[in-house]
Amino acid sequence: MQQHMELTAVRKERVRMGQLSKVYPDGTVAVKDVNLSINEGEFLSFVGPSGCGKSTIFKMITGLSGPTDGTLEVMGTTPKQARKQSDTAFVFQDHTLLPWSSVIDNVSLPLAIRGLSRKERQLEAERVLELVGLKDYMKSMPRQLSGGMKMRASIARALISKPKLLLMDEPFGALDEITRQTLQLELLDLWSQDQEMTVLFVTHNVFEAVFLSTRIAVMTPRPGKIAAVIDVPVPFPRSESFRTTPEFGQIVRSVSDALKH
Amino acid sequence: MRKEVITADPGMYSLSETNPRVAAERKAYKFGWSWWKTLLPPIIAFVIFVGGWELFCRLADIKPYLLPKPSDIVLAATENAANLWVSVWTTIIESVIGFLLSVVLGVGFAIILASSKLVERSIYPYAIIMQTIPIVAIAPIIVIWFGAGVNAIVIIAFLIGFFPMLSNTLIGLNSTDHNMKNLFYLYNASPFQTMFRLRLPSALPYIVAGLKISCTLAVIGAIVGEYIAGIGGGQGGLGYAITVAASRLRTPYLFACGFSASLLGITFFLLVNAFSKWMLSSWHESEMKSSEG
Repeated sequence: MQQHMELTAVRKERVRMGQLSKVYPDGTVAVKDVNLSINEGEFLSFVGPSGCGKSTIFKMITGLSGPTDGTLEVMGTTPKQARKQSDTAFVFQDHTLLPWSSVIDNVSLPLAIRGLSRKERQLEAERVLELVGLKDYMKSMPRQLSGGMKMRASIARALISKPKLLLMDEPFGALDEITRQTLQLELLDLWSQDQEMTVLFVTHNVFEAVFLSTRIAVMTPRPGKIAAVIDVPVPFPRSESFRTTPEFGQIVRSVSDALKH
Repeated sequence: MRKEVITADPGMYSLSETNPRVAAERKAYKFGWSWWKTLLPPIIAFVIFVGGWELFCRLADIKPYLLPKPSDIVLAATENAANLWVSVWTTIIESVIGFLLSVVLGVGFAIILASSKLVERSIYPYAIIMQTIPIVAIAPIIVIWFGAGVNAIVIIAFLIGFFPMLSNTLIGLNSTDHNMKNLFYLYNASPFQTMFRLRLPSALPYIVAGLKISCTLAVIGAIVGEYIAGIGGGQGGLGYAITVAASRLRTPYLFACGFSASLLGITFFLLVNAFSKWMLSSWHESEMKSSEG
């Protein structure tokens, strides 16, 4: 697990933002002069209050909207090109499962869109459902699942294409605290199983960011910019007890201080 | 380790509620009781109404050609059962064909309109204008073009059901969840894939609402068509039978035809309703049983 920390310097660059800015047509400056480089195998969280531009950055990385100034490279190419290569996957706050499809059909949707055969899809879907612990529920309909299980299915759908870059936009925002903490542990577990996978995680929850991340980009609003980038030099695997260590409290405090700038 | 983590999820227990046996027993009990609760009052009201009607006509000695007694209507229907059945059957065929045409073409055109904003913007206003023209105003033109008879009647039944199908489907196709559309976009889905894997299925509740409107309208359209297009070559439908009965003052038979027409509409509606339940029950709120929702 140590590799995650040690190799970041020599590892490939996954996302690079240079003076990245986004001004909306109505004149709102959503993001201003953001410089950040994210490497392979990192778990980087964007933390900040609503309106700080973290979701705008997320949208630009996915290619849903373009920057108005500066440069943005994803996987060494443009965001749109990176998405076409299917190396990126997405998880949103809303589970976005199709209500008329079973769990297994939902999970294998990215492969179905790519035109893979039913057999290949089935095999891959069973693999990722096993990973998130939903194999017994693959024939269930989404509405039969609890909120936590829906989010697991949503994560399984993202993992099915073996992404190199996993983009998560407040994925646990709608879950209760107990489920949220369980899923945080599971997510770290999934991430540690794939040394090459980079996770970009958007949240407004400081505790969540500290618990999960190798690095935290603290963002402040109006205009949205990065106030500080804080390392979380705590080795993996992290367990529940990490939440109650003095070290955890210290990092939470420094993130909170940076948010007040 | 993972097993523990999973079972610790409080939401897991929600599945045990859908234990099939318990659910079935509960449903059977509920069904037996609520069935009587919902059916008994309207049956009693029906008996009182029909009995009062019969009694009123007998006591006031009203002429059957002005207001026939319920017994006169039943008698007229049974005496002319063969004729009545032919009329009903003709109307069934005409309205079913008209209805199916309106469904296929309504959904098909909606897909075409929804595929391109430009096409939608340029054609949809005219579709709305067409919809506001009363069908009785167009019917004579259709008879002139297609001749009196089944063709014209089917086209009239189709036209009256077409626009509700078109506009309902179009609204459904255009109200796809924004996050879902983003998801399909991000996974590089083609417009074709997005249409048939996402937009059309999520429009299904709207399409079903359109079906419910169009199915009863198709019966009305067929009867209106028969009024105007008449008997044509073959057998006359209910609309034709009604005009003939009215002109000969055969009021009891007129009532029998009217009731047959409304029964037909109700049957159509119930069939479509059952179909929509079957289509949507597994996932959409509108057709779920309250005990599961």
